[in-house]
Amino acid sequence: MSFKKFLKSVITSLELGDYKVEGKKKAIKDLLKKLNRRKQNLKKSLEKASEKKQQKELKEELEILSFEIKKGKKILYKLYAKNKKKDK
Amino acid sequence: MLRRILLPTILVLLGYGFWVSPDFKEIAAGVSIFLFGMLTLEEGFKVFSGGTLEKILQKSTDKLYKSISFGFVATAIMQSSSLVSVLTISFIGAGLIGLTQGIGIILGANIGTTTGAWLMAGFGLKVKISAYAMPMLAFGVILIFQKAKSLKGVGFILAGLGFLFLGIHYMKDGFEAFKATVDLASFAVDGFKGLLIFIGVGILATVVMQSSHATIVLILAALSVGQITYENALALTIGANIGTTITAVIGSLSSNIDGKRLAGAHFVFNVVTALVAIAIMDQIMYVVEVISESIGIANDNHTLKLAVFDSLFKVMGVVLFIPFINKLVTFLTKTIKPTKTRLDGEYDNVRYLNDSVLELPSTSLAAIILETRHLYDNSFEIITHGLNIKRSNIISSMPLDEVVKDLYSEHAVDIDEFYNKRIKGIYGEIIDFSTKSQSQMSPEDIEVLYKLKLANRDMVEAVKDTKQLQKNLLKYSNCTNHHIKEQYDKIRKDLAGLLRDINIIATTNEDDVILLLLSKAKVHTEKYDILANGTLDNLIRKGLVTNEMATSLMNDSAYAYDISKNLIDMAEITFSTVNEEMLMDSDDVKSILDKKDIA
Repeated sequence: MSFKKFLKSVITSLELGDYKVEGKKKAIKDLLKKLNRRKQNLKKSLEKASEKKQQKELKEELEILSFEIKKGKKILYKLYAKNKKKDK
Repeated sequence: MLRRILLPTILVLLGYGFWVSPDFKEIAAGVSIFLFGMLTLEEGFKVFSGGTLEKILQKSTDKLYKSISFGFVATAIMQSSSLVSVLTISFIGAGLIGLTQGIGIILGANIGTTTGAWLMAGFGLKVKISAYAMPMLAFGVILIFQKAKSLKGVGFILAGLGFLFLGIHYMKDGFEAFKATVDLASFAVDGFKGLLIFIGVGILATVVMQSSHATIVLILAALSVGQITYENALALTIGANIGTTITAVIGSLSSNIDGKRLAGAHFVFNVVTALVAIAIMDQIMYVVEVISESIGIANDNHTLKLAVFDSLFKVMGVVLFIPFINKLVTFLTKTIKPTKTRLDGEYDNVRYLNDSVLELPSTSLAAIILETRHLYDNSFEIITHGLNIKRSNIISSMPLDEVVKDLYSEHAVDIDEFYNKRIKGIYGEIIDFSTKSQSQMSPEDIEVLYKLKLANRDMVEAVKDTKQLQKNLLKYSNCTNHHIKEQYDKIRKDLAGLLRDINIIATTNEDDVILLLLSKAKVHTEKYDILANGTLDNLIRKGLVTNEMATSLMNDSAYAYDISKNLIDMAEITFSTVNEEMLMDSDDVKSILDKKDIA
């Protein structure tokens, strides 16, 4: 076994590989959780809101949140796909 | 003056020494090789200080006992209290740790230096140490020539240790040969007079060699061949401990106020400990005898006894000082005051950029980040005042409609004067410091640095645009044409809202809040651009504003748009903790505005 192969197997067994990607995945997952929670709260607030101006503001915020959640999911999907490719 | 005389005197004395004694030449060469080894060792550890060491330092200094332990372990491993001191000053200078934590590290480092005496007395003098030095030097030098940073670092450490061992070997050999021609022990002085004389010699030797570690190794080498008496060696050790603080004080001159205070703490600690040791010398020597006997050190093994004394003396000092650390911090804060204080109307200076933080790329970067935030504070102030808004209202929860009504001043604030006094100098220093610090940074750090420079430029641009915007703000805020007044108030309100959001971004740790506010700001900037959304066309078409008003509004809304863009870009770089890919780009904003791509 060459030194490079040995090193690779050590990294794989200790799950040290792609720690940057793993960190990124975790950060985005956590952020998505928070954004989803915020979205639910916002939906409730929107149901209760009576003023038009307030409704408009909340709707706009909800649109941005939905967009961010979708974007986060896309990035996460790409990261998982990258990992799968590597495993193969 | 003293420094000018010192160097020629040392050179003349050395020259004379080399001329009269070849053995002295060997001892001096040993000291030089030892000191070179320490420099090489420091170089090696600095290679590894690009992240790991800083993270450990920040995490392991939140409590005093942790700071002391960190100082001890780091010094024991690196065998250099001066490197630990430099790192600590650098971290304090960059605002990453406080003075109390810094003092804790210095106390720990003081105990850590005793491991050097133990290694030398227990190992260095017992075996033929040069046999270990040669392979270390050979392996070390080969590794130094490698391209990989970590291998280079290991190379420097190995070579450093090799030089240390080689230096010890030459010192030991030199003293042994020296004994045959001159018996230094005949110059021994007994009693209190001897104690004071040899403390003085210890101070002088350490100031000259800039290392107490080297002095103690030299003392042990001389003691092992009986060239100095045990009692005089103890006094020399105390002297070395005082001498090292003078090195630290000189080193702190280029540091910021906290670095100077830390050097002050080091000085007070070592001098007081030395005074206490002198006062109870007989009792300490008795305890050394008891400890030595209990751990099986032979009665005539003076080198190991000296190591016991060194440890006891330093641990005693630390124990003595622990209860007074907070008082020491208060004392130093009161006595060592910043030379330049900010007064209203006076020039503002940089707070975090100084030569001490240049020691490490991470501290340089941290200092630039903090200085950028400082520049942001000043920019925030001038932009709000330029918009004729009170800063306190922006950071409050007051409705924005009321914020724009509550004017800051009846007259226009002189933005030029403020810019020259509180922005220009700091901005210039940041750019200059960035260029200086860049040379030792990794490509990743340079990328971050580049972004920070952009953030600073954005801020300065935002201030300059505010100056342009200000001209018509006052004019049309009091205008009888309510249409134009309304538009200018809207510009002020939008910018006030943005400044409020940026203030939240700057002060929160919640990444979802940061992301949402940044995204909202980007969408709003595009959505409420009156050039793009047709508001201006509408006003002109309906004849609600004059041509002159329309031109002013068109120009000023462009300024407001630029201010918003610059402030958002700056906030994204300076305050955002969100993953970069998650941040909205211009295409994303367009999608939102076009109501596309939304779940």
